[in-house]
Amino acid sequence: MTEMARRDAATNLPPFDVAALRAEFPILSRTVNGKPLVFLDSGASAQKPRAVIDGMAEMMRTRYANVHRGVHTLSQEATDDFERARSKIARFLNAAHEDEIVITRSVTEAINLVAHAYGRANFGPGDEILVSEMEHHANIVPWQLVADQVGAKVRPIPITDAGELRLDALAAMLGPQTRMVAVTHVSNVLGTVNPVAEVVRLAHHHGVPVLLDGAQAAVHGPVDVQALDVDFYGFTGHKLYGPTGIGVLYGKQALLDLMPPWQGGGDMIDRVSFDGTTFKAPPHRFEAGTPPIVEAVGLGIAIDFVGRIGWDAIAAHEQSLLQAATERLSGIDGLRILGTAAEKAAIVSFVVEGVHSMDLAMLLDRAGVAVRVGHHCAEPLMRRLGVDSTLRASFAAYNTLDEVGVLADAVTRAVERLR
Amino acid sequence: MADMSAYEEFVAALEALDDEMRFEYIIDLAKEARKDPFPESAKDDRHLMHGCMSKVWIIHEERDGRHYFHGHSDALIVEGLVHMMTRSFSGLTTEEMANISLDHVRRLNLGALTTQRQVGMMAMLKHMQRLSGAKRAAANV
Repeated sequence: MTEMARRDAATNLPPFDVAALRAEFPILSRTVNGKPLVFLDSGASAQKPRAVIDGMAEMMRTRYANVHRGVHTLSQEATDDFERARSKIARFLNAAHEDEIVITRSVTEAINLVAHAYGRANFGPGDEILVSEMEHHANIVPWQLVADQVGAKVRPIPITDAGELRLDALAAMLGPQTRMVAVTHVSNVLGTVNPVAEVVRLAHHHGVPVLLDGAQAAVHGPVDVQALDVDFYGFTGHKLYGPTGIGVLYGKQALLDLMPPWQGGGDMIDRVSFDGTTFKAPPHRFEAGTPPIVEAVGLGIAIDFVGRIGWDAIAAHEQSLLQAATERLSGIDGLRILGTAAEKAAIVSFVVEGVHSMDLAMLLDRAGVAVRVGHHCAEPLMRRLGVDSTLRASFAAYNTLDEVGVLADAVTRAVERLR
Repeated sequence: MADMSAYEEFVAALEALDDEMRFEYIIDLAKEARKDPFPESAKDDRHLMHGCMSKVWIIHEERDGRHYFHGHSDALIVEGLVHMMTRSFSGLTTEEMANISLDHVRRLNLGALTTQRQVGMMAMLKHMQRLSGAKRAAANV
């Protein structure tokens, strides 16, 4: 059986039928301002397939109770579902063990967890945390907060004009003072796919752990944390066609075991007394309070959903969208695409000479086209690129080549109106 | 008595338009406003209105107990909205300024522009009220 046939047999879907896929997303059939919705803001948050919407509702209708420690049937059923979701996430990342999967509320929380739990125990005066110039604020500010507390320093790894990480600079910056390298797997602004395996190799050569922000990466292709040998990896549910309010932190067991808790509360303790409290083993040590139960189940369903389509099909389709968008947009007078890395995910940021991005985004909305405008929570990158803001079209598996055309035509018309 | 004729003109003009034409109207207004350039020297932090997705600068002057505003934005559509606000509410006394409320902004019939930019318009009104010392109303808005 060929790989394609095997996939088709497993999915019962034709190889890649974007129309059939779109039919799975109820919101995509609505109109905006009288026009068919063209949703190109999946990089901020992706739309949800019926399986996720219905699956979460079904759990709340039939199998819902708080998880862990429950003796009654509903609690046991909900705990089973919740822990099954953790197993799915572990398989999704190819983690060695499901205990390496900490359920958080977002990638932001995952990074904060590492910064505080790992950082406060391991960073000291004069130490350095290396991030890149293309980071989202979520992978800068948590490190700064901890660095300020312990007297450490956060230093940016420079990027090239094309928006690629400068590995030569990283190699030169690494040294005995380096305590962590924290970079994004895929840039949320430029779409750059960073050479993260090489980043890990360089850092490990100096005995430095690596955290990867996978918020934009885990939605465009498979992630194998063991193959990458990465120490910490964070991603989020809502960009992966799942619900908001759930994030994931993968951490190597040996590292998680040594980390003290960050947030205290229920569900993370072994014994509590006023003489002292002892804590559960990971991952529960890092999951204080009631976790996002239904959201975890929703993420599990989303992971199954992506698995049914298949990464090969998604990647091939999204790359065709990226190529078409790059070609069509480049042809517009005065339009400049920011981020021309050799390896890119389906994210296109651009500015148009003499036209404010905000005006353009407002007129695109009139045409039913949803894009994001602003600094994309990456102000240092905006300064590096010499712009205040960009427009960003971010594509998902459900977008079509026709929609690329609608975007390009709408930009052309808007620019004519605004000049 | 407050001279609200500029404001009433905007209300009447916008009322007659559909959403698409309102955008055209605001864009034309902005292009017209830009023929009277905003002084480069006033594009500084002192005149900058904070908290906008685009930059907005507003100059405030008080003459004979009346408040006059001149505004500018780096974004064209916002420029049109700024121009409408500053034209509408220039020449008022402090007390008259204090009596301008959300209802006045609603009455402008901005349609789709209102849903997108209502928060920004309210922030602009509050900012103008603060500049004119009409704090009482700013607090009530």
